Amino acid sequence: MIEVRDLAKLYGNFTAVRSLSFDVGVGEVLGLVGPNGAGKTTTLRSLAGIIAPSRGSVSIAGHDIQREPIEAKRALAFIPDEPHLFDYLSVEEHLRFIARLYGVTDVDARLPNLLDELELTEKRRSLPGELSRGMRQKLAIACGLLHSPSALILDEPLTGLDPAGIRRMRQTISARAAAGAAVILSSHLLHLVEELCTKLLIVRRGECVAYGTIDDIIARSPDLAGRTLEDVFLALTAESGQTA
Amino acid sequence: MSAFLYLVSHSARNRLTGLRTGLRSPRYLAALAVGAFYIWAFLIRPVNRGTVGGPFLLGQPTEMIVTVLTVLTLMSSWIFGSDSTALAFTPAEVSLLFPAPISRRSLMSYKLFRSQIAVLINSLIWVFVLRRGGSLLPGGIRAIAIWTLFSTLNLHRLGAALVRTSWREHSTAGLRRHRASIAVFVLVGIAVAAGLVQHRTELVSAFGAGSFFSALGQALANPPASWALFPFHLVVAPTFAHSIPEWARAIVPALLVLAFHVWWVLRTDAAFEDAAIEASAERARRLEAMKSRRTLGATAKPRKASSTIALAAVGHPAIGIFWKNILCLRRTAQLRLLIGPLAMSIIIGGAIAGEDGGAVGVIAASSLMFAGLLIVFGGRLIRNDLRQDMQHLPLLKTLPVAPGDLMVAEVASGALPMAALQLVLLLVAYAASFGLPFIHLRNETRIALLAAAPFAVLALNGALLTIQNGTAVLFPTWIRLGPAANTGVEALGQNLLASVANLVSLAVALIVPAIIAVGAISVLGPPRAFTLTLLIIVASAVLAAETYFALRLLGRAFAKAEPTLSG
Repeated sequence: MIEVRDLAKLYGNFTAVRSLSFDVGVGEVLGLVGPNGAGKTTTLRSLAGIIAPSRGSVSIAGHDIQREPIEAKRALAFIPDEPHLFDYLSVEEHLRFIARLYGVTDVDARLPNLLDELELTEKRRSLPGELSRGMRQKLAIACGLLHSPSALILDEPLTGLDPAGIRRMRQTISARAAAGAAVILSSHLLHLVEELCTKLLIVRRGECVAYGTIDDIIARSPDLAGRTLEDVFLALTAESGQTA
Repeated sequence: MSAFLYLVSHSARNRLTGLRTGLRSPRYLAALAVGAFYIWAFLIRPVNRGTVGGPFLLGQPTEMIVTVLTVLTLMSSWIFGSDSTALAFTPAEVSLLFPAPISRRSLMSYKLFRSQIAVLINSLIWVFVLRRGGSLLPGGIRAIAIWTLFSTLNLHRLGAALVRTSWREHSTAGLRRHRASIAVFVLVGIAVAAGLVQHRTELVSAFGAGSFFSALGQALANPPASWALFPFHLVVAPTFAHSIPEWARAIVPALLVLAFHVWWVLRTDAAFEDAAIEASAERARRLEAMKSRRTLGATAKPRKASSTIALAAVGHPAIGIFWKNILCLRRTAQLRLLIGPLAMSIIIGGAIAGEDGGAVGVIAASSLMFAGLLIVFGGRLIRNDLRQDMQHLPLLKTLPVAPGDLMVAEVASGALPMAALQLVLLLVAYAASFGLPFIHLRNETRIALLAAAPFAVLALNGALLTIQNGTAVLFPTWIRLGPAANTGVEALGQNLLASVANLVSLAVALIVPAIIAVGAISVLGPPRAFTLTLLIIVASAVLAAETYFALRLLGRAFAKAEPTLSG
């Protein structure tokens, strides 16, 4: 569903992402983790078509994001950590706008359930300026989920959500994956990654340092056996001279 | 205090380092050079004093007017509140300094110190302005006088803001604490009002601005108003001194008034935190509006969703973009920005129509003038297009809309409403222009022009807004987009260069339509009625075709546009 081959992104002499290759299949949830500045957001933005990779290819649902951007984006949803919303559109108008762009013909049927799922029903006429940070994040999530994307990319999706919202979002991610979506989840919340993800991609300084299931990763480093994901992460991403 | 000095000095040093780094970019260097040249040409460049007709800006009437304006400004600060800019902290200052173990007096001293930067800049600007007005004093001496005036005004507004906040927050206790300050303000108000009442006959019968201000000056120059205004005269006097001895006599009392204000403000710090937080929030709101407006006036954030416009779920996605931008136009304060050009049109229209034209003539001339001004300035004021949406570039880039279609929708969002308004104005002008003695166009010509107008205004607006949206795509750092707006001399230069580039681009776009029009006229002779309509339509079609081609090219550029690096 999501195929990434030899992805690289350079800004002048600075290499933000260096030769990443991975796949996320139907129903899989890939956890993208790494320390700050590791290139996670750059990677996700390349996958979502926001920035063009300097090298390599990204395929979403069989469509190359650079050569067939419209078809690829129609199958995709990108939910950033900072919600980008239009100040002058209400909650419901945001969703109707997205419905038009993605061709969601049954928007009237989907709206009530989605608003209810994300606890936005009472706020459907509110502008983003009237919403709390968490509610704005929920609206961004609703916009991402409205067209039932087959590829879902989430960058720190739980930022600003309350405990109930976090639990609901966890359920939503699981449900979308169970329904056949390929999900990429970038988060620093390792317990969430451990709980939801079927595969892990650990990056450091733009490079892949580990890729596969958690069991695979530990199997490749026997000294990490029996340790928590946090220990594994710290051990794999530690700079030379640092101890895990 | 050493921590504050560290903050100020290192902030200044880092800003200078940023400026020096920026100078390595030719574009930045060019913008800085143009901005610096503009400031030099309009503010600093020496002028021939003989050509300005003497020290007209520093005469007795001006001194009186400045005193009156000073009093009115300060009274409005007491009655309506002031912007209390000197109290406004940045968000970083609020989150780091307020919880820190620092006394409120230290915080206030720090803010007063920082506010001196703005006071000094304003003082320097006015030194240059007054020099052009024929100042007879050396620049340095004049600068001290103006600095004293501005610093006192700044402190007075600050003190008024503190008293008002204290009163509002602490009710009776605040009132009791500041009873002396409030009593002085009330007495000044009563004395000024009494003076105006005493001289009401002269004020009412004064005809024209000159005689009104003369009568006003007379009213305020006599007791009891003159007693109340005495401290204000003391502060203003050094700025209007005509010789160094006169200045020397005036500056000492003015400095004493300034010192009194410093003492008063530092003593009136009861509501400092409340007032500072309020001022900081207001400044943040203004900064956000300023950075997001990219216009000459304010573009407020919508507070409530007004009635919506239905959007079908099925259809071309570009229509969705257009729909979104029309809602933006309705819900933001952009339309209010047209009030200025409208007022200007009415004034100029009234002057053109004259007494012979009557009300109908004023309507006709004003409508034509407004339509014309909208073509010139409309695109700079109404910005419900990509210039607004570039703030959401990451979101736009994820949408399944072809970049070329997106560009067309964005430009149409501004061009179509603008053209519709202009057409209405032209229709009004057409209807109102019948029977006007000074319009000598034949009726067929009027109808021909009116018939061609929709094509012409659509093509012109489309071309102009394509150029401005193109600037947002191709040179996003040259116009105000998003929260990282530049300020300073280089930003001024950037604006000037961008404006010139826009004009040149429009001139280039008009070359082919102009050649066609001139060619047709030279072959067919002066066009009449139907041929005139046809000629304008053909020229407009050519311009529209150029615009469409440019939009497609801009779509490709948009596909390559990237937000700044993060993460």
